[in-house]
Amino acid sequence: MSERRTDPEAPQASPSIAAEQAANAEGKPDRADEEAKRASGEKVEAGAAGHGAEPRGKRTDAGEATYLIAIAEALWEEMERDESVFMMGEDIGVYGGAFKVTEGFIERFGPDRVMDTPIAEDTFTGIAIGAAMEGLRPVVELQYADFITCAFDELVAVGGKNHYRSGVPLPFVIRGPSGGGVRGAPFHSQNPEPWFAYAPGLKVICPAFPNDAKGLLKAAIRDDNPCVFFEHKWIYRRIREVVSEDPDFTVPIGSADVKRSGGDVSIVTYGAMVHKALEAADELADDGVDVEVVDLRTIYPMDTETILESVAKTSRALVLYESNRFLGVGAEVAAVIAEEGFESLDAPVMRVAPPSTPVPFSPPLEDAFIPQVEDIVEAVNRLSKW
Amino acid sequence: MATKTKSAIDKAGLDDEQLRRLLYLLKLTRYFDERMEALYRQGRLPGAIYSGRGQEGTHVGVAFALRKDDSLFPTHRDLSAQFAKGVELKRVMAQFWGRIDGYTRGRDGNSHMGDWAGAHTFAVLSNLPSAYPPAAGAALAYKKRGEDRVAMAICGDGATSNGRWHESLNVSAIWQLPVVWVVNNNQWAYSTPNDLEMPTKTVAERAEAYSMPGVRVDAQDVLDVYVVARDAVERARSGEGPSLVESVSLRWRGHAGHDPAKYVPKETLEEYMTKKDPVKRFQELLTKEGVVDDAAVEELDGRIKKEFDEGYEFAQRSPLPEPADVTAGVFADDGYWEREPGRTGGTP
Repeated sequence: MSERRTDPEAPQASPSIAAEQAANAEGKPDRADEEAKRASGEKVEAGAAGHGAEPRGKRTDAGEATYLIAIAEALWEEMERDESVFMMGEDIGVYGGAFKVTEGFIERFGPDRVMDTPIAEDTFTGIAIGAAMEGLRPVVELQYADFITCAFDELVAVGGKNHYRSGVPLPFVIRGPSGGGVRGAPFHSQNPEPWFAYAPGLKVICPAFPNDAKGLLKAAIRDDNPCVFFEHKWIYRRIREVVSEDPDFTVPIGSADVKRSGGDVSIVTYGAMVHKALEAADELADDGVDVEVVDLRTIYPMDTETILESVAKTSRALVLYESNRFLGVGAEVAAVIAEEGFESLDAPVMRVAPPSTPVPFSPPLEDAFIPQVEDIVEAVNRLSKW
Repeated sequence: MATKTKSAIDKAGLDDEQLRRLLYLLKLTRYFDERMEALYRQGRLPGAIYSGRGQEGTHVGVAFALRKDDSLFPTHRDLSAQFAKGVELKRVMAQFWGRIDGYTRGRDGNSHMGDWAGAHTFAVLSNLPSAYPPAAGAALAYKKRGEDRVAMAICGDGATSNGRWHESLNVSAIWQLPVVWVVNNNQWAYSTPNDLEMPTKTVAERAEAYSMPGVRVDAQDVLDVYVVARDAVERARSGEGPSLVESVSLRWRGHAGHDPAKYVPKETLEEYMTKKDPVKRFQELLTKEGVVDDAAVEELDGRIKKEFDEGYEFAQRSPLPEPADVTAGVFADDGYWEREPGRTGGTP
């Protein structure tokens, strides 16, 4: 237990700890002052989370936000917009969350809407279900997506089946940092999305870009169904772009997006692998191979139309993902293409994905586990030769 | 003796009409349970049955302490609690036969149902005690909104071994939620007796670990259970936080219809069936106190039989679900649960 209390920052310790120390040196925002502001009814601007204090960081002057800031803004804006939205999770209050996504939220929204929970994932997920049945819109934070296995029963047996057999909507979101590449080892690196995409009654979202993350999280909070939202922690502070500041901006759940248009080979992917695919596509372009990158964004419901349109254009498909290869997202995408797009194909659908092992720690092992740009380039070249 | 029983009624503070309603609920559930088991053994009832016979004192007693807008999170063995909360017998029977008028529209069977929109009961499911955390969640919603409503969850002794039981009590006490935790201790978790389930002599004493009152009551007298539950509900309603109620009964039948329950000692079963039958004891009490007479009881029995027969006919006439609707309603998006279901395709 104590391990989980103390180690959340370990895998990507340097940016988070350094920033936190800096923030501590400057002093935290004065809570009494914040309370006074709230009491006076002073309106905090939409998107204020992105303009907040370190260590979460700020938008650039050009309006660029990291993925982490974009997620914080989505939460902030929905908390501002709708009083029935509230958050629960371990250390999300005064501490601001394991990754500082909720830094500053308790000062603005108070402990009744930013609720620290005991370490009891299954129970606080079930609490979210009960609160959602009574019309609230809970957003549950997991310190790491890996711990979602502790919440499996409430999520899958209760949350996923409830509407089908009772007609009672469950508007709640469970969100957490997933993914590897940060030396997080077997318990802080997993990509659990296939388990939940397989379970009926859950929408599963895995954005790759800050703008999509913000729009999809806002859509998930407004959705009347249980949504499982995986934030890839490798992306958190690495990827930034201009992010919408329109409080009504959302991205529809269940829609894929072509992040790079090309005519030779389709790479169907999501999460951090989108960025690897784009890097590989740049390399391949130098060799005259024109790659299209389809970012699924949502795993369930899956936008098969966009996949099939892309394959109809390129006649070659590679499915690239960071969760285990066996019985994974690649199997589903390949099956959809085989069943509905067979006539378009000039080559077999291929998969690049990690082996079915835990995510290992030591750098050479983890690098061998996670698909790398050269693996993608090699697979695309093999496909091109057909 | 008369003074003692009189004081039981006085202590409960219920008027004659409420007392007669309690008797109706106890007898209705008993009759329903016996008739349904007979139909099951005749091969006329599909699926499974989970008898609550002998435990009506717990379930009717605790649920009678709730208001209609309070929520109830029961288990598969607690149909009497759902009846007390207001679910309709005819729709329950349609549920058992997988019909479209059942509370789950044929998506789930037997007592795995709830009526959230009406009686405010949560749809029962098998994993135990998976309804405990959602009960805490409903209570959290009441507290957040400043409503004087209460959530009540019920499970058996077996489910108290699960982590979620402890986690739910723990968090409800930290957050001082308006919730009542009921454990119907029927002494057997399927075939496993209490002493193989827990190191403590009672379930109630575990409440101390979570800084809440824990009361143990004998389910042989429904009024005793009611009084304990009422106090816990009032405590929750007035903002004083959660309570644990352990109500001790015996499961007269097996875990489910297929189980002869030979592991329960014969003497124990006989003692409970002859001396501690909550239905019989309550009927005798009300007769002795003049709340009902033999004619009124006879009239009540006739009314219950008629209600059952009409419910049975209703269930048989209710159409089966449309096969084409198998994928509808997984998500709220398709509006399946907002509209009347198709009734043309299925035949009884």
